[in-house]
Amino acid sequence: MTHMKGLTQVVAVELKLVLREPMSAFFALAFPAVMLWVKMRSDRPLPGGVRAIDATVPMLGVFIIGLTALTVLPATLAQYRERRVLKRLRATPASPVMLFGAQWAAHMLLAASGTALLIVIGLAGYRLAAPGNPAGVLLAWALGALSLGSVGLLIGALVPSGRAATVIGLGLFFPMAFLSGAVIPRENLSGSMRAIGDLTPMAPAVQALREGWAGVAMSPAALGVMAAISVVAGGLALRAFRW
Amino acid sequence: MILKYMTVIEIDGLRKGYRGGTAVDGVSLRVGRGEIFGIAGPNGAGKTTVVECASGLRRPDGGTVRVLGLDPQTDRRWLLQRVGAQLQEAALPDAITVGEALRMYASFYDDPADWRALMDQWGLTERRRTGFGKLSGGWKQRLFIALALVGRPEVVFLDELTTSLDPSARRTTWGLIRDIRERGVTVVLVTHFMDEAEALCDRLAIMDRGRVVATGTPAGLIAEGRCRSLDEAYFALITENEG
Repeated sequence: MTHMKGLTQVVAVELKLVLREPMSAFFALAFPAVMLWVKMRSDRPLPGGVRAIDATVPMLGVFIIGLTALTVLPATLAQYRERRVLKRLRATPASPVMLFGAQWAAHMLLAASGTALLIVIGLAGYRLAAPGNPAGVLLAWALGALSLGSVGLLIGALVPSGRAATVIGLGLFFPMAFLSGAVIPRENLSGSMRAIGDLTPMAPAVQALREGWAGVAMSPAALGVMAAISVVAGGLALRAFRW
Repeated sequence: MILKYMTVIEIDGLRKGYRGGTAVDGVSLRVGRGEIFGIAGPNGAGKTTVVECASGLRRPDGGTVRVLGLDPQTDRRWLLQRVGAQLQEAALPDAITVGEALRMYASFYDDPADWRALMDQWGLTERRRTGFGKLSGGWKQRLFIALALVGRPEVVFLDELTTSLDPSARRTTWGLIRDIRERGVTVVLVTHFMDEAEALCDRLAIMDRGRVVATGTPAGLIAEGRCRSLDEAYFALITENEG
């Protein structure tokens, strides 16, 4: 009980702290909305006939998860270490699991609000179709948040400073976002780019979220890969964690 | 028997080395329940290392440490519910407010103090909405004391609480430390200042180069060295040890 109470307290506070940081709010909310607007200036259907908006909203949904999980989250953790916020926490009964859980939840709540904003804009301005498989969309989003969040926690556990976390996070995020189909639709990527992109942890999230939104059968491989990444990266992050 | 029952901290032959050399080389201490126990000594004497071993932040290389009868390494989880600490150089995120910090830290403990009452007692209520980064040094220290007490500890470790404070804020802090003891909490106070040790401590240990060179009441140490003040006794002891 205490631990649950502690967790919700910490999540609430961490979420407020993230929102007070203008850069993270910009990355999670404003930046993807602007990207949606830029991408939808030409809304030709994709090769294969999918409407651009119905592909773009799920794609940018993964983009937001990736940006918050791989750049904002590790920077927060690393900055806490650098400033010795973690040192003070270490002298309390708070555990690394609780700290990770709270950081993950706060950042993913931020990502969820960014995605909700995109959906509202899509519905209001671009006649976004309702998701074909709402439960599948939620599952894909949750697994995407878990798997990319675990990778972000691992980066945050390893890097020495907030500055290094931002550099490494952005260095991983942008190539992944472009190759995995979160920015450019997979249909428009060349075969070799798609092959490289498929090796990144963002690719299964893009695939699963788009399948869920379209209401087509979801690839068990994509879901399985995300679950596996969550377990492996999350476990490594806990082992590598230093206060 | 009575003495043993009253002992809350027992350290025997504590050793801890670092890459650079030895920080603590065979320290033994006893701290009784309800005491203000001082640890004084020059920079690099090993004072902080002793406190960090006793509060479970560092693993000793040798010797035994018992706090409230618990081993800070193996019984960490239970011990951290019953001790509080204010640590050197530790910090909070700049954006967290006084009220949020107290409330969040309270949520870590099984049986916390009423954080609002604590905030009142330590005069922090008027600053409850102020961010940590905007507090002056004196107010930060007040908040750190309150955070160290929020878990209703039986022992608190205060490491160089007053080093960065101006003289009047130091005097105020002395009053606060006496208040803690009034509530029956044992206080371990690391300090550089002999006037502070003389004014506050029931007993103190003087450390130099990783060892305890003398232990006793302030009056006892002055008498033993045939000195007029604790300051004089301290310098005589350190000079003799380093002679």
